[in-house]
Amino acid sequence: MSAPPTSRQRILDRVRQSTHSSADPDYNPETAYAALPRTFILRGQLTAEVRIQLMIERLREYGAEVVECLPEVLPASIAAQLAASAKQTFAAPLGLAAEWLAGGFNWKVDDGLRIEEIEAVEGVVTAAFCGVANSGTIALHHSVTEGRRVLTLLPDWHLCILRASQVVETLPEYFDRCHVPPNLVTWISGPSATADIEMTRIQGVHGPRFLHVILVRDVV
Amino acid sequence: MSQTAAAHPQLDPTLALPFPQAALPVLRNPQLRRNVAHAIDVIQAKRSLLVAEKTDWQQLRQAASAIRAHALDNLAYYLEQFETRCTAAGGTVHWAADAAEARQIILDLLRQESATEVIKIKTMTSAEIQLNPSLEAAGIRVFETDLAELILQLGNDEPSHIVVPALHVNRSQVREIFARRMGLENLSDDPQALTAAARTYLRRKFLTVPAAIGGANFLIAETGSVAVIESEGNGRMCLTLPRTLITLAGIEKVLPRFQDLAVMLQVLARSATGERMNPYTSLWTGITPGDGPQRFHVVLLDNQRSSILSRPIERQTLKCIRCAACMNACPVYRQTGGHAYGSVYPGPIGAILTPQLMRMQHAKSLPYASSLCGACYEVCPVKINIPEVLIDLRAKVTDQERGRFNRFLDPMYLGMKIANFLFAKAWRFRAAQRLARIGLRLFTAGDGWIHSLPGLGAKWTQTRDLRGLPSETFRNWWAARTPVSVESNKEAK
Amino acid sequence: MRASLFITCYNDTLFPETGRAVVRLLERLGVDIEFRPQQTCCGQMHANTGFRGEAYSQAKRFVRLYHDTEAVVIPSSSCVAMIRDQYPGLFEELGNEALRKELAALLPRVFELSEFLIDRLGVEDVGASFPHRVVYHASCHGLRALNLGDRPYRLLAKVRGLSQAPLANTDRCCGFGGTFSIKNAEVSSAMLAVKLQDIVQTGAEYCTALDNSCLMHLGGAMHRQYAGMKTIHLAEILASTEAPIAEALA
Repeated sequence: MSAPPTSRQRILDRVRQSTHSSADPDYNPETAYAALPRTFILRGQLTAEVRIQLMIERLREYGAEVVECLPEVLPASIAAQLAASAKQTFAAPLGLAAEWLAGGFNWKVDDGLRIEEIEAVEGVVTAAFCGVANSGTIALHHSVTEGRRVLTLLPDWHLCILRASQVVETLPEYFDRCHVPPNLVTWISGPSATADIEMTRIQGVHGPRFLHVILVRDVV
Repeated sequence: MSQTAAAHPQLDPTLALPFPQAALPVLRNPQLRRNVAHAIDVIQAKRSLLVAEKTDWQQLRQAASAIRAHALDNLAYYLEQFETRCTAAGGTVHWAADAAEARQIILDLLRQESATEVIKIKTMTSAEIQLNPSLEAAGIRVFETDLAELILQLGNDEPSHIVVPALHVNRSQVREIFARRMGLENLSDDPQALTAAARTYLRRKFLTVPAAIGGANFLIAETGSVAVIESEGNGRMCLTLPRTLITLAGIEKVLPRFQDLAVMLQVLARSATGERMNPYTSLWTGITPGDGPQRFHVVLLDNQRSSILSRPIERQTLKCIRCAACMNACPVYRQTGGHAYGSVYPGPIGAILTPQLMRMQHAKSLPYASSLCGACYEVCPVKINIPEVLIDLRAKVTDQERGRFNRFLDPMYLGMKIANFLFAKAWRFRAAQRLARIGLRLFTAGDGWIHSLPGLGAKWTQTRDLRGLPSETFRNWWAARTPVSVESNKEAK
Repeated sequence: MRASLFITCYNDTLFPETGRAVVRLLERLGVDIEFRPQQTCCGQMHANTGFRGEAYSQAKRFVRLYHDTEAVVIPSSSCVAMIRDQYPGLFEELGNEALRKELAALLPRVFELSEFLIDRLGVEDVGASFPHRVVYHASCHGLRALNLGDRPYRLLAKVRGLSQAPLANTDRCCGFGGTFSIKNAEVSSAMLAVKLQDIVQTGAEYCTALDNSCLMHLGGAMHRQYAGMKTIHLAEILASTEAPIAEALA
């Protein structure tokens, strides 16, 4: 006596009955997918300089603080940002470059920090994967230089190091850069916000209320 | 903090009043109507600017519509792909044929965890299956973490909009709720202060509750990933801090590829909140050691979706990405708000989705809750032809009526059958015109206008006059002015 | 050229002056107008209320009646939308191959009035005179289904003595919606109140549109409220010349 069909089986059977496209033995969903229309803007038209300016402008529109610097003075720029924050304790991903860990501050490198320890730090410094200028979006792929997700979530202050070479204009260009789809992504477009109370936009509900970006001019 | 019998009794389609009646108290509430109009205007203004700026907006809509239609056309293929890849990445995929099964699966999972509390990211799907009351009944406390959902939960109220669920609540009402439920007597009604109060209140929950339930904006078949789109950060909290994460998602949420998000993210934020991009979007794949929940479950929900899929005209309903642009554009919703729809899905999308989820047994007044103006279709980022579906659902409701023995007692049904009879032959129509003119003379005042009619007509005259029928119809005038011999007398069947 | 007038069931009965105006206007422009008395209704009311089979029988009558015309002119954008947007689906579901062919052949020859004037006759200045301040209400079917665009405004712009008042929230529905105005009378009235505010605020003397359905709804409320504005179908404005106009709604 065979077991009654599982819900999985019943659902898939019903779905297949409703979508009889497999009548043609040569039909392949992947072929059909490749034929879908993609006439929207794939690539931006801005020059590199204008693109960078747009990224900075959009970040500032969201209330992020942005400074630029040349690669050789990056550690100093980081130190200046940390000093200006009037904070003392910072978390850092395990893979963050050593020279970025400015002296005179209390660093908690994430080599298995407990949640309570992350909750206790005042800020975090990370790199990023990509910036999308059009929307002022920063994409974190949570690599060793970007840190696990909770590291950029619990601290109230986040300093993100974004290289000019990482900035693209359009969202489709970001996806082009992902040669392999990432396992983990957090796309950040400004600090958290809500407009739930009378449509009044309030920033900083959960997640860092202060986002600082250093835009490193690593390409001419 | 536990709810009464159903999560949202007012939004239970099996209990809700028909739309025309449900709308009445709202129409008589100027404060509520103003709140709704204000919220809509803010979003619409922002949306308009961004759509105007996006020179490839129509191409994006076309692409978004095509991707969603393709995913639905190949749903079994993509669902299986998602399941395989999500499982390979350490997730566990469950399949729920209906709401009851979904609730049971989730309850069993939480029991396995010995969970007594759970934090939640807003997911309409969980409201659709009435999850919260079943968890509460099983002794599991549910903490909503979206600000609006928190306001509604603490205030024992119900959502009235998909994206801005508490838009019908103003700041002093929120202040009152928070002060009472959080014990903060000196709380001001400044939205900043209110938000700060919520931040503090929820922080402890995020850091201590080991199980979270959320939804999915999209399931990515190619990678077995899940994407959650949000503004407040409570999603990120629930997705990364707990030990166990349960994602509840309708089977229609699947996208073929990771890169499809390039299209969907561009249209969703602009449509939903009038932003180029929402503050936080999270994507994760199964389990990542050392980062986030180490137990991850996806509950795939059918609950009539496979049935909707089988109907050619209705299938497009499932393309929906829950942006709420339709209700922001809807002139009916603007006047009635969401509660009048008696469903967790209000507005134009709710008018077509709800009756179908109810297998056309309930919410049958919803397809008629529209003037068919088409504003929704114009703004829908995935090009759902909502008016077309509304009209088709009306035909289904009418077909049900045809089967009833007492259908001719319904004045509307009777009127339509008579009208059809009259329209079938020109001589019948002319006779009816003559009769109508004579009959309505009774109701025509000296100024040539009708101010009051009986029966169905009273629905017109309660707010509008009607000019009395002219003494000569157009066809009579034409016949009088042109000799009959010249006229072509085509006898149409 | 020859054109056949489809007056529509409600214009025939309630607004014959609109039909008379269309005849006067088109004959003035040299069009040979005919009127086929077998016409009754396009079926929109039934289709939109869920009576699909009944709507189909009316649609079939329409197609059979006009299959040999050079052009069909209809002073009602919602009826044209019905024919253009819904007839194909109805015929696909309920009709046969021959009828579908007939419909396909007929569709390009069906015109809403402003489409006929501008697209078919190629005229914007129809020689009209109407020295009044007028606000144009864009019915939803004309706006979205037919994409009439600026055709009505261009026609009005050429009317001597007429000044157009700009209308706020032009794309917002007036709330008529056919049987919606009865089945959801209160919501319909709420939408009407909001729309009327925008219209009355323009200070125009007349509110015009390409659909007497919307005008019946708006005008009915204006009359009830002693609003000091009247409604008039666009055809009647375009038909007006220096000679005194007979028929605006009193």
